[in-house]
Amino acid sequence: MAKPKSSMSRTLARRETISAYLFLLPSLLFFVGFVIIPMVICIINSLTDASMYTKGLGNFVGLSNFIRLWQDSTFLGALKNTFIIVVVSVPVVCLFSLWVSSAIYKLKGPILSTFRCIFYLPVVTGSVAVTVVWKWMYNNYTGVFNYVLKSLGIIDQNINWLGDSRYALGCIILILLTTSVGQPIVLYVSALGNVDQSLVEAAQVDGATNLQVFWRIKWPQMMPTTLYILVITTINSFQCFALIQLLTSGGSGTNTVMYYIYYTAFKLTEQSGHFGYANAMGVMLAIFIGLLSALQFKLAEEK
Amino acid sequence: MATLSLKNIKKIYDGGVVAVQAFNLDIADKEFIVLVGPSGCGKSTTLRMIAGLEEISEGELYIDDKLVNEVEPKDRDIAMVFQSYALYPHMTVYENMAFSLKLKKVPKDEIDKRVKWAAEILDITQYLSRKPKALSGGQRQRVAIGRAIVREPKVFLMDEPLSNLDAKLRNQMRAEIIKLRQSVDTTFIYVTHDQTEAMTLGDRIVIMRDGWIMQIGTPQEVFDHPANVFVAGFIGMPQMNFFDGELVKNGSNYSLLVNGAKVALSERIQKGLAEKGVDSKKVIAGCRPEHMIMKPAGEDTMKATVDVSEMMGSEIHLHLSCFGKDVVVRIPSTELSAEHRGGMAYGTEIDISFPADLIHLFDPETEENLL
Amino acid sequence: MKIASPRTRAYKVVCIIILIILAIFFMFPLYWIITGAFKTSQEIYAASPVWWPSEWTLNNFVKLFEKRSAPLFQIGSLAGPTVPAAIRWLVNTVFMAVVAMLLTCITAAMAGYALAKKCFVGRALLFSLIICAMALPKQVILIPLLKEMSALNLYDTLWAVIFPTVGWPFGVFLMKQFSEGIPGEILEAARVDGAGEVRTFATIVMPMVKPGIGALAIFTFINSWNDYFMQLVMLSSNANFTISLGIATLQGETTTDTGLLMAGAALAAVPIIIVFLIFQKYFTQGITMGAVKG
Repeated sequence: MAKPKSSMSRTLARRETISAYLFLLPSLLFFVGFVIIPMVICIINSLTDASMYTKGLGNFVGLSNFIRLWQDSTFLGALKNTFIIVVVSVPVVCLFSLWVSSAIYKLKGPILSTFRCIFYLPVVTGSVAVTVVWKWMYNNYTGVFNYVLKSLGIIDQNINWLGDSRYALGCIILILLTTSVGQPIVLYVSALGNVDQSLVEAAQVDGATNLQVFWRIKWPQMMPTTLYILVITTINSFQCFALIQLLTSGGSGTNTVMYYIYYTAFKLTEQSGHFGYANAMGVMLAIFIGLLSALQFKLAEEK
Repeated sequence: MATLSLKNIKKIYDGGVVAVQAFNLDIADKEFIVLVGPSGCGKSTTLRMIAGLEEISEGELYIDDKLVNEVEPKDRDIAMVFQSYALYPHMTVYENMAFSLKLKKVPKDEIDKRVKWAAEILDITQYLSRKPKALSGGQRQRVAIGRAIVREPKVFLMDEPLSNLDAKLRNQMRAEIIKLRQSVDTTFIYVTHDQTEAMTLGDRIVIMRDGWIMQIGTPQEVFDHPANVFVAGFIGMPQMNFFDGELVKNGSNYSLLVNGAKVALSERIQKGLAEKGVDSKKVIAGCRPEHMIMKPAGEDTMKATVDVSEMMGSEIHLHLSCFGKDVVVRIPSTELSAEHRGGMAYGTEIDISFPADLIHLFDPETEENLL
Repeated sequence: MKIASPRTRAYKVVCIIILIILAIFFMFPLYWIITGAFKTSQEIYAASPVWWPSEWTLNNFVKLFEKRSAPLFQIGSLAGPTVPAAIRWLVNTVFMAVVAMLLTCITAAMAGYALAKKCFVGRALLFSLIICAMALPKQVILIPLLKEMSALNLYDTLWAVIFPTVGWPFGVFLMKQFSEGIPGEILEAARVDGAGEVRTFATIVMPMVKPGIGALAIFTFINSWNDYFMQLVMLSSNANFTISLGIATLQGETTTDTGLLMAGAALAAVPIIIVFLIFQKYFTQGITMGAVKG
């Protein structure tokens, strides 16, 4: 009888690996083909002068695209706007959804579901439909906003919300907020429901007020959820696009990095090297998001 | 016919951790073998190697004289009952039991016959159309056994099947498994950490520790002649008492000195020691609680004070403090004087000794039985 | 039962009132879309907004449908009957969402199972790659993706939108989370019972991760329906537009016919909202599960 060699363990491990990859294959093909490869090309392209008409990869130009970026006043303006959007919306979304979740999570099933749906509605409605109707609501002459504000006496004449660079960005942020709170609310409601009740009760017996119970017992337990919400809200606000494109086309001081990328890549077709430039912007954007996320992780760890 | 032969089976994990060392065992057809030992001793790993769920790092496994090291579990003609039962949650009990037969393309009426037969034996016929989550722990366990029986395998493997049950159910199921053997006459390999299960169920027991086999033998053998301190302490409830003592050879006579008591050794023990040529040395002396005797003070007794006395009804369990060590002694109520029959107070002083023939002597370094 | 102090009770009342106001605010846009879709032009452009249409007219929808037309479907050279473009856009969107959903569920279930339950070379690497990819914004890759699609001759087809959706690793991530809940011993029992890889996956694993698949299905359906930017970049001809893209294009052209736009918005939003309401349980599950290990 043959004595089995230890190479047999390699065979069994190999069999397992092969079967694993067979299961992974379909997904992997799509993933590599339509996510990884474009990502790599994006990075490569950002270092070239590729344009819409370039066959192949274009000429290597090193970091000149990136240098040009930082000298581009339009880009810097867009960057500023993007940061305003992010800095305003992220905390507001988090606090707002936290408050709403804490107010509704104890309600009875159907009522809770109803509220949850209502807050999720703008997300499901889709950016185009939402944008189209808000455009009408913000309209100078026929929009509801002006009418209501006039009736309440807050203003005495119509404001051109989307045309006025003082207000346009704020208007967009408002819409963004409505479409951003849906998911955090769902998550916070679920996280609040999972808080260990025995800890809460122990604190209550110890004499803690509701507010203290919230900040000292519930809040720490929801940290992972909060972190996740911070990250996805940040990514979401960086990527806000349809709003800008359809409401103001980047005018009235609402140009953002996302829109500028689109504009550079698809509207500036006469300009050479615009694809490479746009890709560089994209890489820049990814870096910003990555940095911010890492920062958020760091802060959460320390807490 | 289902014999198994494990020759020098070893399991080595990446990183060099040896979970099972040089395991050698020949199992006869229809034998009930129990692998027993504390957590981490390698018993489950050995079972899984037999099943084919773990690779055998070294050594050979033969089922019916066929080398099966590289054979897939499904082709080894074995059936396994898992500790967590591993019932398919989305299938009914019937479907769970029929699954393997369906895969083998057994005809439908044959499947039906076998499933109903197994259900009958295990008394689960009324649950056939239920799903596992609607069953209690004990019922689920029976379904797990049923799933294994229907396959009519050569070897039955059971991995701590009773561990997840409460004490009362465990005792019940133990009896049922013994009964099961009458209806299902095959080779069994059973893994447990409970020595009571091992003693009551096994034809032969394999006691393991840290990957090594400590002893193989029938329940009686390992009880009467433990090969080393570990086996002696592991088998038997309450655990055997161990004392540091000295074996004194006087000419051709051996005697034992423990805590000042001079204990005589039976002829059998003396003969055995003489045959092995054992000289005077320090020893570890072991004596089971039920064998130790309480007698009036004398040359061969040690003083001990009572810590706790447990009234068990027909006997009393005394937890004593003897020369700084804890000793447990079981004394039948009939041997107690009237004042002690209800129990002994804390601090009572008594004298205990050993019966001449029921002492076990172990080498202090190798921990092996001197005989 | 906790005894509520008057202060807590007052706070609760205030909360409810604020919540109701917020709820009205959040529901308003949708309400405005639907009523606007059925209002006459008069009422739409009235100086003071008409809260409830006095007559519900289908005029806006008629105008929407007259706007453009396209064949109902096109398979190779076989073209369907000519219908209003908006209908074709809806058909496109449904087709795209359904196919993306089906493909994603199948590939992600398989991949998630492998990642969760199998030991293989490169597992840790692959998993970290997936996490990194998920953290990055999708939009960044759209430009190179565009070039890739035209190289593959898929530009301006619905496949250009479907394939990147299927490739997006969130689905695999979600299915991995769900697959991890399968006890290893059940898979071993199946192996001992004689089930091969495919058999085990189909008869044991799939039924056990059904809630995960349900969540992923609804998630993918809704997200691909609403993925405007991708649709904008990849689709250029009228007949291939999705409903969101079509409406957006119309808005670019006819900034004055609000009624028509509202009708379009209604068409774009109402179907997906209905789907959401029906399946919201799975949707909520999906979001929550995705965040647990996020």
